[in-house]
Amino acid sequence: MSVTEALGEGVMVTVVGLIIVFSVLIILMLVMMAMKKIFYKEPEKTETKADEVQKTVPLQEQSPEEQPAEDPNLIAVLAAAVAASLNTSAYNLRIKSYRRIDNNAPAWNKAGLRDAIDSRY
Amino acid sequence: MFQSIINFLNSTGIAALITNAKDALAAGATGFDGVVAVIGTPLMLIIACVLLYLAIVKEFEPLLLLPIAFGMLLSNLPMFANSGAIMMHPEFFTDSKYFVDGHLDMQMIFAEGGLLDMLYLGVKLGIYPPLIFLGIGCMTDFGPLIANPKSILLGAAAQLGVFTTFLGALALGALVPGINFGVKEASSIGIIGGADGPTAIYVTKTLAPALLPAIAIAAYSYMALIPVIQPPIMKLLTTKEERSIVMEQLRPVSRTERMIFPIVVTIVVALIVPDAVSLVGMLMLGNLIKESGVADRLCKVAQNGLMNVITIFLGLTVGATAKAETFLTAETLGIVVLGLVAFCFSTAGGLILGKIMCKLTGGKINPLIGSAGVSAVPMAARVSQMVGQKENPSNFLLMHAMGPNVAGVIGSAVAAGVFLSMFAH
Repeated sequence: MSVTEALGEGVMVTVVGLIIVFSVLIILMLVMMAMKKIFYKEPEKTETKADEVQKTVPLQEQSPEEQPAEDPNLIAVLAAAVAASLNTSAYNLRIKSYRRIDNNAPAWNKAGLRDAIDSRY
Repeated sequence: MFQSIINFLNSTGIAALITNAKDALAAGATGFDGVVAVIGTPLMLIIACVLLYLAIVKEFEPLLLLPIAFGMLLSNLPMFANSGAIMMHPEFFTDSKYFVDGHLDMQMIFAEGGLLDMLYLGVKLGIYPPLIFLGIGCMTDFGPLIANPKSILLGAAAQLGVFTTFLGALALGALVPGINFGVKEASSIGIIGGADGPTAIYVTKTLAPALLPAIAIAAYSYMALIPVIQPPIMKLLTTKEERSIVMEQLRPVSRTERMIFPIVVTIVVALIVPDAVSLVGMLMLGNLIKESGVADRLCKVAQNGLMNVITIFLGLTVGATAKAETFLTAETLGIVVLGLVAFCFSTAGGLILGKIMCKLTGGKINPLIGSAGVSAVPMAARVSQMVGQKENPSNFLLMHAMGPNVAGVIGSAVAAGVFLSMFAH
């Protein structure tokens, strides 16, 4: 087979092949877009207020020496916890502030709680 | 008494090595063939050991390269012709002299075949690659793709390398006298650019079984080298601004969508390219098992036990098809070069479409995710993430790159189906 002959057939196969690959995947793309239309509902934007964050996340598990400075890891954890309990995405939340709530339970309650936790180990 | 000792000495591998070389030279092998006849066997053992070194010390895809290299070692041990100890007879599967009516002579294979011949039937009959795809399906999350349907186009564009290499192989076959690449061989070589081992093996065992070991080794070695091959091309084809584009968060995907996707893909692919169904169908079955969540046990066994067993069988037998006469040729060298070309063009294809989509969407798409359209999951996506993060440390492209990445698996299976439907019948 001469070079031109070989390449002539090759070019044809290449063009047809690429067209087929693209058309199959384009069809799949359209199917997925249709699926989005049918099954996907935009989640309502729930802007959670700062005080709600404080309510839903009792911040008693932080270390007592927690610095008031912003700790991005802590904020990420808080956002994830709030998102999980509110059954929404962390992207719908905006954490404006967080504050440690003092635990003013009686000493005996605290001791009992600690006992219960310790006994799980 | 001495006779039995002499008999033993005459049956050793050393004796076989010497006798085989003598026989080949007596039969008139000269030039390159003569060299292969004399040093071919030891040379193949050395190549096998180099591959073992790459697999164990350099950790190049060790799960596959290790069995491939050891299979190569096993089938190239010096043996007398017709010895019952021969584990693999690649000629039974490739040489038409052994065929009956153009088909494999199963009775002869069962009667005379060794362990690896039996296991190789799984490759030859097209059993292993689809089962590997079943396991891959169980491990694949199509969520990022469903969330961003446009990224499937990048998986299609990355098949550019498959077809350009197909052309390259045809040109090489026509121009270089020692290399005989027809359309079938060229298709098998081109599919290396899909960066998908099972797909490459599936196409090659049908279209060009003699090239199987070279193509499998090239495909898996280059897949291991993706973190070296891709970044320079990615930097060359994109600007600093493009690389630092931060993409929008993907939407969550509902369970219904995840469930419908594999079913629809299977049907759509079957309607257009039926030859791709055994690969795509099994991939989607695996994915449906995973996403449905009702068959957890099947999912676990498909992605662990089953897949590992098949990987051992596949690697071992593919490696074992590499015999000195068929492997030590100019064609193998051609495949190694073309395989690299295939990877480069696939990467470039994805990046170029990525750039176009970036322009069309007004800079919402980072072109770096295009290079993940080559289907090596998840290495290619990780490379996109790595290169993107170098420009902008707070950029996380990984999930965005997983879309084109899993689309690439579908794309290369479809490309394989195209070749099979054109040339297998």
